[in-house]
Amino acid sequence: MKFLNKIIFFYFREYKLNMSGVQDILTNIIFFFVSIFIFIFSIGPDKETISLIGVGIVWTLLLLSSTLSLRKFYQDDFENGNLLIIHLNGLSFGFIAILKTFSHFLFVQVPFLLSIPIACVLLNIANDKLFYLLTSFGIASLTLSCLGSISSSMNLMNQRNYLLGSVIVMIFSVPIIIFSVSIINMEENFNSLINILFGILLIVFAINPWASGLCLKLSLENN
Amino acid sequence: MKFLVNPGKFNEIADYIFKPLLFLSFIFFALGLLFSFYLSPDDYQQGSTVRIMYVHVPSAWLALLTYAIMTFYSIMALAFRIPFGFIFNTAVAPIGAVFTLICIISGSLWGKPMWGTWWVWDARLTSVAILFIIYLIIIFMNYSFENRIVREKVIAIFILVGSVNLPIVKFSVDWWNTLHQPATISKLSKPSIDSSMMTPLIIMTLAFIMIGIAIAILRIKTEIISRKSNLS
Amino acid sequence: MLIVKDLSVQRLDKAIFENISLSLSPRNITILKGKNGSGKTTLLKAILNIIEPSFGSIYWKGKLLKKNLYDFYNHVTYIPDTTTSLKKLTIRDNINIWKKFFISDINNAQIETALKTLKLDNNLNKKVGTLSFGETKKLEFLRLIIENKNVWILDEPFSNLDDDSIELMKQTFEDHCANEGSIIFSSHQNPGIYVTEEMEL
Repeated sequence: MKFLNKIIFFYFREYKLNMSGVQDILTNIIFFFVSIFIFIFSIGPDKETISLIGVGIVWTLLLLSSTLSLRKFYQDDFENGNLLIIHLNGLSFGFIAILKTFSHFLFVQVPFLLSIPIACVLLNIANDKLFYLLTSFGIASLTLSCLGSISSSMNLMNQRNYLLGSVIVMIFSVPIIIFSVSIINMEENFNSLINILFGILLIVFAINPWASGLCLKLSLENN
Repeated sequence: MKFLVNPGKFNEIADYIFKPLLFLSFIFFALGLLFSFYLSPDDYQQGSTVRIMYVHVPSAWLALLTYAIMTFYSIMALAFRIPFGFIFNTAVAPIGAVFTLICIISGSLWGKPMWGTWWVWDARLTSVAILFIIYLIIIFMNYSFENRIVREKVIAIFILVGSVNLPIVKFSVDWWNTLHQPATISKLSKPSIDSSMMTPLIIMTLAFIMIGIAIAILRIKTEIISRKSNLS
Repeated sequence: MLIVKDLSVQRLDKAIFENISLSLSPRNITILKGKNGSGKTTLLKAILNIIEPSFGSIYWKGKLLKKNLYDFYNHVTYIPDTTTSLKKLTIRDNINIWKKFFISDINNAQIETALKTLKLDNNLNKKVGTLSFGETKKLEFLRLIIENKNVWILDEPFSNLDDDSIELMKQTFEDHCANEGSIIFSSHQNPGIYVTEEMEL
């Protein structure tokens, strides 16, 4: 019961923190939409072309804008010592990584999930494809959160090269983007592709507590 | 086998074998180039360009082999607390990157006459390019951390995570490629090899392995010395 | 309760400190004195099992600390020298978060009095980021009362504090001691606190 309370109030804390900086989350969304505009300005307003490559654009930009705020993943809590305090309250580093991953999913990725329908309207993506887009992003975004947790915990002590974290996430998310976009283009293979996406999610989810926990411990040890 | 994990023992053995290895690799290179330029036949389909394969294939093998060995050493270093693994990773990552780069460049040199472009989004090319980027990330990580302990451990963790993710990436890129590309190219890129072509390939591979080991010895020795001299 | 035996920490083959032994039983106050960079924070972190010691061992209640880690964590409050209060939130929010997160059975009246003695009661709705350095430091000490645990481990608690606050801390330390508690704190000089053990690093 005590343990459950700790988890609940970890999220209470995350909620308070994220709500106090709600403009950060909104800036991510705005970045997403502005880049859609930029994309359309550079391609031209031709309806046919846009609806042909619309799904690819949405996916690329989702990936880009969700890796934007990765630096904030652990950095604040690490620098002001909160990570240590949370650990001393009886949560292991691996478990903190899992909790943080879900928190990132809830507060960064879910807003994207809500803004996808609007993007679909802007890019002339058919309504029946919207469902596939949402399901694939729902699964893949959790995978992205896990990858984000791994890469940002690796780069906690990296004081020079801030972009490296995003590069790591993007290079490892190649499979995710391939299968997610395929789901939309090949609806008849929906089940098998969803299974593959789930498989990737499970693999990354299994690595995440180990890798992130180790990196967090390492960074705190040598801070 | 202790010299594979112990810096002191490694130094002893390395001093012993470095010069013979270098000498042998030059002989093998000379022999291999001779074979591949004069003593092997033209391909009936590809003509003389098939000779690029004698550089391309060994470097591709070694690029993968280097990553595999780095994974092995990362496990050793993290699980059994053998610091030589960290030294090895730092020293060898650029060698792997260079092999990958040779593979990409020779591949696109081959692609220009055969496919008509320097670069196609072939599954092999794409996954090798991703491997190259991963090598680059490892090298950049070496230069972006102030603290050495954190740096080497984080790199080892990254290599392990990459070794899990790379097969997935490879598989997905293969799958993606068969989805988008007609099968003609993959047929071209995997010819069955005649024995007259096999000899130079094997000799060149040996030469590549030897020169790789020789450079690795140099780099590992430099790394050991620099760690001893400045403990930052 | 807490026994540190021949503890040494090395980093990159360089010893940060060597062969430190200390023991902490109820009603004890230990001060770690030393210059900047002498390894006070490192020792505290080693006691908290964040840093792995190269040699030596730490025991908690007769067992090795590593085997008994989460029981130890249930009895210890650590105040680092950074501001752990969330700067974006108000004092009230911070207190609420800590109170719930540590499942504290402390009631509001106790917190009110503590806030009053710390002179923080009239700007409860101010963001922590806008407080002065001394005030944030005092807010950190509120966690000692909220967590309500036996062992206090404090890193540089007296930096940036005025004389009144130091006097207050002195009183708090004595009260805690009388309550079977024990304290380790690091400081480059002792501002007149009654200590049972002094440790030079």
